[in-house]
Amino acid sequence: MISQFFVLSQRGDNIVFRDYRGEVQKGSAETFFRRVKFWKEDADGDAPPVFNVDGVNYFHVKVAGLLFVATTRVNVSPSVVLELLQRTARVIKDYLGVLNEDSFRKNFVLVYELLDEMIDFGYVQTTSTEVLKSYVFNEPIVIETAHMPVGPASIFMHGGKRMPGTAITKSVVANEPGGKKRDEIFVDVIEKISVTFNSSGYILTSEIDGTIQMKSYLTGNPEIRLALNEDLSIGTSDYRGSGAVILDDCNFHESVHLDSFDVDRTLSLVPPDGEFPVMNYRITQAFKPPFRINTLIEETGPLKAEVTIKVRAEFNSSINANTVLVQMPLPTFTARVNFELEPGAVGHNTDFKEANKRLEWGIKKVVGGSEHTLRAKLTFSQELHGNIMKEAGPLSMTFTIPMYNSSRLQVKYLQIAKKSKSHNPYRWVRYVTQANSYVARL
Amino acid sequence: MSRNDSKYFSTTKKGEIPELKEELNSQYKDKRKDAVKKVIAAMTVGKDVSSLFTDVVNCMQTENLELKKLVYLYLINYAKSQPDLAILAVNTFVKDSQDPNPLIRALAVRTMGCIRVDKITEYLCDPLQRCLKDDDPYVRKTAAICVAKLYDINAELVEDRGFLESLKDLISDNNPMVVANAVAALAEIQDNSSRPIFEITSHTLSKLLTALNECTEWGQVFILDALSRYKAADAREAENIVERVTPRLQHANCAVVLSAVKMILQQMELITSTDVVRNLCKKMAPPLVTLLSAEPEIQYVALRNINLIVQRRPTILAHEIKVFFCKYNDPIYVKMEKLEIMIKLASDRNIDQVLLEFKEYATEVDVDFVRKAVRAIGRCAIKLERAAERCISVLLELIKIKVNYVVQEAIIVIKDIFRRYPNTYESIIATLCESLDTLDEPEAKASMIWIIGEYAERIDNADELLESFLESFPEEPALVQLQLLTATVKLFLKKPTEGPQQMIQVVLNNATMETDNPDLRDRAYIYWRLLSTDPEAAKDVVLAEKPVITDDSNNLDPSLLDELLVNIATLSSVYHKPPEAFVTRTHSSAQKTEDDDYPDGSESESSVNLANGPGSPPTSSYTIPPSVAPATPPSAAAPVPDLLGDLMGMDNSSIVPVDQPATPSGPPLPILLPASTGQGLQISAQLTRRDGQVFYNMLFENNSQVPLDGFMIQFNKNTFGLAAAGPLQIPQLQPGASARTLLPMVMYQNMSQGPANSVLQVALKNNQQPVWYFNDKILFHVFFTEDGRMERATFLETWRSLPDSNEVSKDFPAIVIGGVDATVERLATSNIFFIAKRKNANQDVFYFSAKLPRGVPLLIELTTVVGNPGVKSAIKTPSPEMSTFIFEAIETLLRS
Repeated sequence: MISQFFVLSQRGDNIVFRDYRGEVQKGSAETFFRRVKFWKEDADGDAPPVFNVDGVNYFHVKVAGLLFVATTRVNVSPSVVLELLQRTARVIKDYLGVLNEDSFRKNFVLVYELLDEMIDFGYVQTTSTEVLKSYVFNEPIVIETAHMPVGPASIFMHGGKRMPGTAITKSVVANEPGGKKRDEIFVDVIEKISVTFNSSGYILTSEIDGTIQMKSYLTGNPEIRLALNEDLSIGTSDYRGSGAVILDDCNFHESVHLDSFDVDRTLSLVPPDGEFPVMNYRITQAFKPPFRINTLIEETGPLKAEVTIKVRAEFNSSINANTVLVQMPLPTFTARVNFELEPGAVGHNTDFKEANKRLEWGIKKVVGGSEHTLRAKLTFSQELHGNIMKEAGPLSMTFTIPMYNSSRLQVKYLQIAKKSKSHNPYRWVRYVTQANSYVARL
Repeated sequence: MSRNDSKYFSTTKKGEIPELKEELNSQYKDKRKDAVKKVIAAMTVGKDVSSLFTDVVNCMQTENLELKKLVYLYLINYAKSQPDLAILAVNTFVKDSQDPNPLIRALAVRTMGCIRVDKITEYLCDPLQRCLKDDDPYVRKTAAICVAKLYDINAELVEDRGFLESLKDLISDNNPMVVANAVAALAEIQDNSSRPIFEITSHTLSKLLTALNECTEWGQVFILDALSRYKAADAREAENIVERVTPRLQHANCAVVLSAVKMILQQMELITSTDVVRNLCKKMAPPLVTLLSAEPEIQYVALRNINLIVQRRPTILAHEIKVFFCKYNDPIYVKMEKLEIMIKLASDRNIDQVLLEFKEYATEVDVDFVRKAVRAIGRCAIKLERAAERCISVLLELIKIKVNYVVQEAIIVIKDIFRRYPNTYESIIATLCESLDTLDEPEAKASMIWIIGEYAERIDNADELLESFLESFPEEPALVQLQLLTATVKLFLKKPTEGPQQMIQVVLNNATMETDNPDLRDRAYIYWRLLSTDPEAAKDVVLAEKPVITDDSNNLDPSLLDELLVNIATLSSVYHKPPEAFVTRTHSSAQKTEDDDYPDGSESESSVNLANGPGSPPTSSYTIPPSVAPATPPSAAAPVPDLLGDLMGMDNSSIVPVDQPATPSGPPLPILLPASTGQGLQISAQLTRRDGQVFYNMLFENNSQVPLDGFMIQFNKNTFGLAAAGPLQIPQLQPGASARTLLPMVMYQNMSQGPANSVLQVALKNNQQPVWYFNDKILFHVFFTEDGRMERATFLETWRSLPDSNEVSKDFPAIVIGGVDATVERLATSNIFFIAKRKNANQDVFYFSAKLPRGVPLLIELTTVVGNPGVKSAIKTPSPEMSTFIFEAIETLLRS
């Protein structure tokens, strides 16, 4: 049970403030912001998501650069409050299409109406966009957006041209300017992968955090069947040979019926409006990492060293990775870095971030099967204490690979129970793999 | 008409309120709706639109739900300040509660419950009674919560009108939403009542477990949390409950998962079959791990809970240590918690892997994280005897990188490793000594000194090493001084040669004569006594075998752990503190005094170094078996006089005889009448503000040869009319004695005419001496009142409302604002309150508010480049004639 809910901008301005119980003083937003802003004397220490100041407990999550905050005086379940904050953000995004200060301000009456239906006396009532539709009467004013949308699906925006990107910033409830709603459904299989390589390229840990995300704009809420790989197994006990996809654990949205899941790995559900995860899963089964990284550091003189980084894309050549960024901390005494790219390299940029002594290498597009090399010549202002390998690294990498998934988990088919023959909604099933923590140690 | 709400924020011409009033009374529906929106917009930015109350309420009678909701929102906000007008709305509320539209019925009870005005509450009962039995579940679920609202306003009324019974009936409702809200309401009422209201019988239990399957995710949490209070009768019932709850572990909502875990853990206590328990542990592990795939905020909560769970049931996640390895992009608060759990799960089987990780972390960028990683290696060494050697070699490797804070942290943990495994790893001392001169942190220094003292006989140049510290003995922090003292004594006992003998003289002298730290002084005296009476006995005491320390990675007190485990999935489990330590909910909104905060809720790792007895080093966080731990000496005795002064000042007897040379606390008072002029009577005084009142803080010192008595004081007319509020109460002062008093002062009593100035002329007489006159300077900042804090909006409004002629500014070219926080805090203690801060080019602009007596507001703007000299101060106040004094005050405060 919460006492207050508020949303602050990055600068700490109050965008929305709703007091449900009058137990916490009015200045709480300011107290909170000051605490978060100055959590650590030396700048960038993130404040933990839950803390207590003068008997008031503050919870916050950051969504799209905004701070969603709740306060309470009692011993509540923190996961309830933090989930609630995330969901509130999601519902408001469902309604407004885009989450930012501007869309909030333009729709403040709607936002207050939503908040009143979602939370009563501090108790969550519902966070389902679908349910809310029957109680909420204000219509969203959709703002023109040049901004990037938020959420995992946003990766499709800078993915390929084949992605119908505008749909993602569309409000679930607002009608299209043309009048009629476009009948379509998006199913995104989003996998965030974490891999740690040791210095000889051997995989120390690897993990996939996957989500099957759905966003439905279907009229009439028809039932949907979603079939996954038949050889999918859960838990390692019933291991079925090398080809199978083995999930360590998974969980489902409450609208999902699992009646036939054990038999043929199909999920059936009537998708509520709005964006929601149909299923979350976690895999620690070994998989082929999309990139291999090779790093070589040589001392070439008392105050000089040379770093060679090789990145090889180990996926099919029909697939491209986007917005690849390689980063590596360099020794503290690094004064200068000269970069050398392979001849004819396009879409590369290299940078030495003086402030935190970091090498950055960005590649706009990496085609499957290709290999790229960067040579960096370092100059130090002081002699190193010996082991340069200990003072540099580890190397980390971020990337997005559309239409690629590491786990081989697939949506075999997506069936919409038809109401009429002429009715043929658009169905989009999309895959994407993103780096979560992709690290090569030196 | 453009449908764009932000236009409601734009301010129109002067007459905004009259204009709105007109629109609110328009005959057109749309216009009225727009007007109400504008009113709400004004309300949310903090403008006072309460004067439109009647006009807004008139719009309430509408079929348009959108408009009705807006009016209700307005009502909730202003009813409290306009209770008489709020009554106007009652009829509509009552009518709405019987509207054919269920949404309107629900809206009416929901809103009435939020209006905490007695007159309205009376009228709430009948509609509430009806709505609790409404046909529509939406109305019933809203009514259920409304009972909790009413209980919060008037508990008696709820009990008298039988609402509790109605609420209990709703537990059997056929709609799960209604059940969930009824459970939530009952649980809250129970929390605030001392008598049993909501008791869970096996009957309600089974009903609720059934409802669980149909509820929404949030309802499931309400029910699970309420059921977690249920005590199963036996193992069989517990098993049954667990079986019904286990499917919840598969839920995508982390809150549901954690509440289910809590419930299962609790029932597990009763289950005797080890097979069942093992099986349950196996079932809980994957969902617990999956919580770490959620957003970092949720991960943090999960990790804090897992920390507790593995302390009770270490086997649950014994094989999952890899999932707690830090990702490079984890926020620091997640990394810290993961580290803690890694130590707890470290075992002989996985220690190599774990050490590899720790070593990697120890070369990362974040200093706090690196330190914690180094410490973690030491804790593993202490925990796992067979791995100790490997841990030490990793530590030595890290020391060789020569990163200063890594070295210091390593030395601190190695000292603890020595205490855990005495006489095993001393061969590495030579390596440690190489880093001696780079140590600059007290704890690391103290640790190194302890090592030198403890192993003095094996270190050839121990005396030289210690001597190098002695030069700076007086400047060292207490922690280091204590260790130096003990180490020197050890050295002397082990090598009673000339060098150490001289050293011991120096140290004992320093520690007894030159210090005001009682712990240090007392310890030094004891050593001195021991050494001078019986050196052999001294050996027995100082060089006695020390108790071996144990690992602290399961360091929560078992009874606290029990309590926290009951509170899994609550804040308590995140702070690792029992609920009563931080829950300060008060119905009367009385201000709590608790000043603690729990930054990351971590178990306090602070050490009670001083208490560990002469022979022991400053253990960082290790427990010594209680039988050998000496009692904690009472802690320092510094500010007693001041404390007394405060107490006495409060009960207005305002005198504190001080029978020994006063130890002035805080900044000393300025001497206004030196003893040389006052025939031996010296008077120091200063105006000060405490607890909302101005006092004259005075110190009398009698350096004359005669006792003085009959003190009286008089203030000349002054600009602010300051005068004594009561007689001066100073007892007879014996020669050599002194006395302190806080004389309460009043303002506007004897105002002087003529140009304003800050001089305060004081006359003081006693029975033995002539009348003494002296001048004091009035420190203007004592007049700033405690209620000067302003809402940001009020500040802006006030600033705008004052004409520009009321703005005065002044430059302080020499003043530097260093620490922003410190400055803000310092000003706040003088009742100048921080409002906001903004950047203007490279300059920071700070806004403060304060209040002068008689409620005169004062707005302050400070412009500066932080850390550079030069502060521009602009003030705006209805009393600009005071600006000279105000600037003086600002200058004094910024300078101090």
